[in-house]
Amino acid sequence: MTQTVDNPEVLRMEGITKRFPGVLANDDISIDVRAGEVHALLGENGAGKSTLMKVLYGLLQPDRGEIFLHGGRIHISSPRAAVEHGIGMVHQHFMLVPNLTAVENVMLGLPRRPLSVLDRAGASRRLRELSAEYYLGVEPNAVVENLSVGAQQRLEILKLLFRNVRLLVLDEPTSVLAPAEVEQLVRMVRMLAAEGRAIIFISHKLEEVKEVSDRVTVLRDGRVVATCPTDEPSSADLAQMTVGRPITIGRRLGGRASESAATELQLEGVTGLGDHGVPALVNVSLEVRAGEIMGVAGVDGNGQRELAECIAGLRRIESGRVLVGGRVVEGQSRDLNLLGFIPEDRQRTGLILSFSIGENLVLKSFDRPPFTRRGLLRWRAIWEHARRLMGDLRMRRTDPTIPVAELSGGNQQRVMVGRELQGDPSVVIASQATRGLDIGAVENVHEMLLGQKKRGAAVLFISTELNEVLAISDRIVVLYRGEIMGEVRPEEVTIEDIGEMMLGRRRTA
Amino acid sequence: MSVGASASVRTRDALSRGRDLAPRWGYPLFAVALALLVSAGLLALTGKNPVDAYRALYDGSLGSTFGLSVTLVRMTPLLLAGLGVAISFRAGVFNIGAEGQLYAGAIAATATALYLPGLPSVVLPIVCMLAGLGGGAVWVAIPAWLRAYRGVSEVVVTLMFNFIGIYFASYLVNLDYGPLGLAGSAYPQSNVIPSRAELPIIWPTTSVHAGLLIGVFLALVLFVVIRYTPFGFRLRAVGSNPEAAQYAGIPVKRVMVAVMLISGGLAGLAGASEILGLKYALYANFSPGYGYDAIAVALLARNSPIAAIVSAAFFGAMRAGAVQMEQTVGVESSFVLIIEALAILFLAIGVFVQRRRTGPDDAVKGTVAAKTPAETSSAAPDMETA
Repeated sequence: MTQTVDNPEVLRMEGITKRFPGVLANDDISIDVRAGEVHALLGENGAGKSTLMKVLYGLLQPDRGEIFLHGGRIHISSPRAAVEHGIGMVHQHFMLVPNLTAVENVMLGLPRRPLSVLDRAGASRRLRELSAEYYLGVEPNAVVENLSVGAQQRLEILKLLFRNVRLLVLDEPTSVLAPAEVEQLVRMVRMLAAEGRAIIFISHKLEEVKEVSDRVTVLRDGRVVATCPTDEPSSADLAQMTVGRPITIGRRLGGRASESAATELQLEGVTGLGDHGVPALVNVSLEVRAGEIMGVAGVDGNGQRELAECIAGLRRIESGRVLVGGRVVEGQSRDLNLLGFIPEDRQRTGLILSFSIGENLVLKSFDRPPFTRRGLLRWRAIWEHARRLMGDLRMRRTDPTIPVAELSGGNQQRVMVGRELQGDPSVVIASQATRGLDIGAVENVHEMLLGQKKRGAAVLFISTELNEVLAISDRIVVLYRGEIMGEVRPEEVTIEDIGEMMLGRRRTA
Repeated sequence: MSVGASASVRTRDALSRGRDLAPRWGYPLFAVALALLVSAGLLALTGKNPVDAYRALYDGSLGSTFGLSVTLVRMTPLLLAGLGVAISFRAGVFNIGAEGQLYAGAIAATATALYLPGLPSVVLPIVCMLAGLGGGAVWVAIPAWLRAYRGVSEVVVTLMFNFIGIYFASYLVNLDYGPLGLAGSAYPQSNVIPSRAELPIIWPTTSVHAGLLIGVFLALVLFVVIRYTPFGFRLRAVGSNPEAAQYAGIPVKRVMVAVMLISGGLAGLAGASEILGLKYALYANFSPGYGYDAIAVALLARNSPIAAIVSAAFFGAMRAGAVQMEQTVGVESSFVLIIEALAILFLAIGVFVQRRRTGPDDAVKGTVAAKTPAETSSAAPDMETA
């Protein structure tokens, strides 16, 4: 990587401070980005990355601090102003209209004279040129909802290039990509930098920060911990700076399940439909024994949600059957001794955010004794149950009557996991259980799942984070378009092999 | 568990309830006060003396025996129908068809009183009220089924059913061809119900009838149901996050249907009590929009059944006092509609501002909150301007 420290400065943010009620989200943050530089912003969730970028993009106004662009002080009042200053952002959740074409999405919001006619042909031509120039392979007339996630992301970047943005902010761009697509993205980012554009690359993954960036700024608790060339600190040092203490995410096996252990979860040729009525699971068969963690790897949206919902009885099984604890699944079970299900979107489907911790902990059992007796809810039993469970979850100091919405992501997940595991179920399904959590909370979830395995539960661990699947699973299956591409053992497989399977190349070994 | 610990549970419980109650009562009271203040300014602008006008409003509603009795009579249907609307809102179902359900209840009660007069005198009004409850429930059954099992918006369907209900009642009492029409009458109406079917007057020499007691009693019942029964828990869960409720094994559709039937039944009771307690016959267009005002009653009460008593009393008082205000000060009686509308408007602004203020707070505390659908959708238009 080239030395970029001497390049002219594009952006400087000085002393940015932003306070929300009760939280200092950004505390006197200063950062500078130079032309031709990829500047990584590294930090856990809640470290202040998003707030800082919202300030830069005009979505939030800082309480204190100044922003300089090419040396001149500017005021960014809105995203439109940011774009006019040549600042563009690719959000984690794409801002595209799914039923419009690529070129229509690019034209949306372009400044034009009132009553002028849309120049669709001209825009298409320009888009095609740009797409070819950067090897992006986006067809202007393709409807966005038919594009792959990777293509949608490239379209987002094209939108910015179309507006000739000089400073690009990419917010956790790799979180939705398969390994091969990540490589392509990295190549493109380097290419944009080589042209003299400046790039801010937000991430909480060390390896990719190491790979793509020239300099890195580490944020923690709303403050800058360090800014340095990326190749100076070791990965371990960077990790320690991010978390504030030494960590190790290595392979952690809690002993292997004996071959004779009972099969607790069994799928036999299960086929299920997705939300739009097209097959999302095709002839899936797998077995998980007691005391075993079966990892399910795959790029997001390849049938993971449908797999979990079929097992939990939340989705109709078109053919085949599912056995949990030896019994055929028919409809939804609320038996917490049989099945614990941690759904992938805890805020939408796992918890009721406006409900208290105590209410969420009895969401599946409130209508049974001791919480309901003689037709009436027994609130004291509900609060006592919550406090007992919260003791186990290391949340002793938290008031069980506060709404779950007021908890951090990590504590929300504790409540979720605590509810589902309270009955020591024989089968545990954990679906994207660590998504959006910071490293400490991720460790905590891993520990709880390893604890379940030790206790003798059959655990199905579904995750799009390949590293963690490799770290805690005994066996791994890879899902691609609803089919199992093959089964591997984590100690016998390389990341490249699994990456191939995630992209649909069946393992023939 | 030690005594100290259980005491602390109790305080926490009480505290959380306090937190629950404070905004529920604070914002509405503030909104009403502000509405009265701004309306006073409007009165002054039009050259009327606001002090005189408000004194007349007060005398005509709460400040005199007669005024008070009119307030209580007016608030009765508002309370019953308002409870129905509140409970449906609480479950996330927007039943705005209380007006039609009210007519359906009135029709059922009237028909029962006219065609089953042989029942014993204590039983007859009870049966008629139950018929009203059933009529309202039947009227909401189709929208409920469409909502729960066919995904058809209940807002549109219940609203349309209002017109069917209102005109169906008009047809029934039509003087020329209506099956219930009373030939020779000056205004379209049914025959007068037998006096044994009437709801008793509870305040002699006034028109205040037992419907009011039923309303207050049902408000207390609903409070207990919502807070202390598993059904109430399900209802709140469905209203707060139907997807999570579904995941937790709560039968969301059945809860929705049940809540809508209860909601329609309460509106039906409002219509029945109006006939059996006050009008003694079914008249065409007998309701001056009680079913629509019930929506405002529920909004101002922030869907709390207990607060609905106060909220219904406020609306009842406004309507009662308006007459005196018009007679003594010459302010159009429709002026109270401005006060009511401003109160709802200020309440909505207050709640909105509160959400805005706490919004970013949550976004920081719940680290993933930045991804909540609400946030993304509110941010989306801004970003698309890029």
